[in-house]
Amino acid sequence: MMIDMNAYLGHFAFRRLRHNTAASLLALMDSKKIDKAVVSSAAAITYRNAQAGNEEVAEETKGHRDRLIPFAVINPFYAGWQDDLKICHEEFGMKGLRLYPKWHNYALSSPSCRELVKAATERDMVISIPMRVEDNRERSWLLNIPDIPLDEIVELVKAHPKSRFLLLNGLGYTGSALGKKNNGLPANYAIELSRLSAVLANEIGQLIANLGADRLMFGTGMPFNYPDPALVKLEVLDAAEPDKEKIRSQNAATWLRL
Amino acid sequence: MPISRTISNSSEPSPRVSRRTLLKGSAAVALGAVALSSARVGAAEQTASSAPSSAQPKGKVIDCHAHLTHHSRANWEADDRKLIEAADKLGIDQLCCSTLTPHWPGSLEGFRECNKWTAEGMRRFPGRVLGYCYVNPGYGREALEEIRRYVGGQGFMGIKLYNEYTCNEPVVFPIVELAIELGVPILHHASHSHYFVEDQPRLTDSGHLAEVARRYPEAMLICAHISGGGDWEWTVKAARHAPNLMLDTSGSVTDADTVDLAAAVVGVDRLVFGCDSSMTAGIGKIRGADLSTQDKEKILGGNLMRLLRRRKA
Repeated sequence: MMIDMNAYLGHFAFRRLRHNTAASLLALMDSKKIDKAVVSSAAAITYRNAQAGNEEVAEETKGHRDRLIPFAVINPFYAGWQDDLKICHEEFGMKGLRLYPKWHNYALSSPSCRELVKAATERDMVISIPMRVEDNRERSWLLNIPDIPLDEIVELVKAHPKSRFLLLNGLGYTGSALGKKNNGLPANYAIELSRLSAVLANEIGQLIANLGADRLMFGTGMPFNYPDPALVKLEVLDAAEPDKEKIRSQNAATWLRL
Repeated sequence: MPISRTISNSSEPSPRVSRRTLLKGSAAVALGAVALSSARVGAAEQTASSAPSSAQPKGKVIDCHAHLTHHSRANWEADDRKLIEAADKLGIDQLCCSTLTPHWPGSLEGFRECNKWTAEGMRRFPGRVLGYCYVNPGYGREALEEIRRYVGGQGFMGIKLYNEYTCNEPVVFPIVELAIELGVPILHHASHSHYFVEDQPRLTDSGHLAEVARRYPEAMLICAHISGGGDWEWTVKAARHAPNLMLDTSGSVTDADTVDLAAAVVGVDRLVFGCDSSMTAGIGKIRGADLSTQDKEKILGGNLMRLLRRRKA
């Protein structure tokens, strides 16, 4: 079993994505032996009204819920986000969120965001946070969106010990409290591996040693990314097979209540 | 120096991949098939994968863009060893390496020291490490002498230029002319962003390289790391009309379609595989590209071998 915690559907404003429909993403997953994927709207990253993207993903994943698990993109500063959260959870069956604080121009520490995290936690939703969407050096001339500093995540996980955070598209955790052993932080966050190294510095191996294999999850970032680099990481990773199995799917299945 | 790996108890860490498995896909691993791993073990490869042999990439896999560690770093020797071990795991036969100065612009003493260390690295890892001679073109005669010393005299495979000058500045032209004389490629650091990169004011992009390629049609130029962080679509399109400009696929960015677009726009014959220390990204992008096995063979090593056969020295 392989579960990808970091996948997307729909269009992205600044680059053409292939494999961005349910049918084509499923075909790609089949070719890579990926069984299930958590998907959210790529368009909602730049839509002003992110709920329109959630509606598109809800529609697109109909009939494929055994394999495509939709997450909602919610902007806690946009009108009606409480209604959107309720609809996404209760009507669309979305089990989690993706937050884009830099793209949607708010602080993770803001009262509105705190309120959203609290509301999502009460619904037992996973709160995933892409640390970046794409490499900042390839950005359009229209905008300059920085990566989320890890220090901001440290404060977030401390402030919400009962929430479950999944950190996507990040690296450098071992240089932060987030990736250190006995860091005094609640064990309420997991780290997705698509940008982590499996050789040379081997950040994945370091994180297994420091946090345990329970805290890592497989993800690719497809269709933004080729899925193969993340697959190769798992293949070359020097880790015990039971740990690899946790990373491949078991941790995700636990978090997603599968 | 083949490193054989054997099947071990499932509770013990053990690399479980081969070049064939890596390049073909993850099916064998996902299904629990176990393969031996070695970059250069023919016997192992005969047992390695369940994929049909007709679809297996053949030939050498050569990373056209790698670096040895500067000796000012305490762990340089161990880090160099890790590079070779990573290549072993990923099925990379050879790495074309330069050693770069930790600060730029590179000084005369700085790049001389680096090239001496690259030559040492070639001796430490015979047959695995090929050398680029790194120079700062601003040193004129001394830079040319350095290239003759290492490319002509010590068998380095090419020249590495960084960001001291934009490649279309006249100070660079004698380097290009010497590369033509020696019949070796130049790997040029490059990127294109839609903003001014303050810490690299003379950053080269593929448009600059295309200009130099047209000026010197006999030159073999390699535009470094199309996945190195800039706008790779711009990079690919600006390179189109310069047939002697190759694109190196290395870099940490794993955006889908990079290799596919490059193949469609400039053709597979002008792509060379590289990692630039992003090892799994480098291999993964080639594996993920929607190209034939034959095309991947060209990118992984065939195209670079073609360049290396043009050596005159």
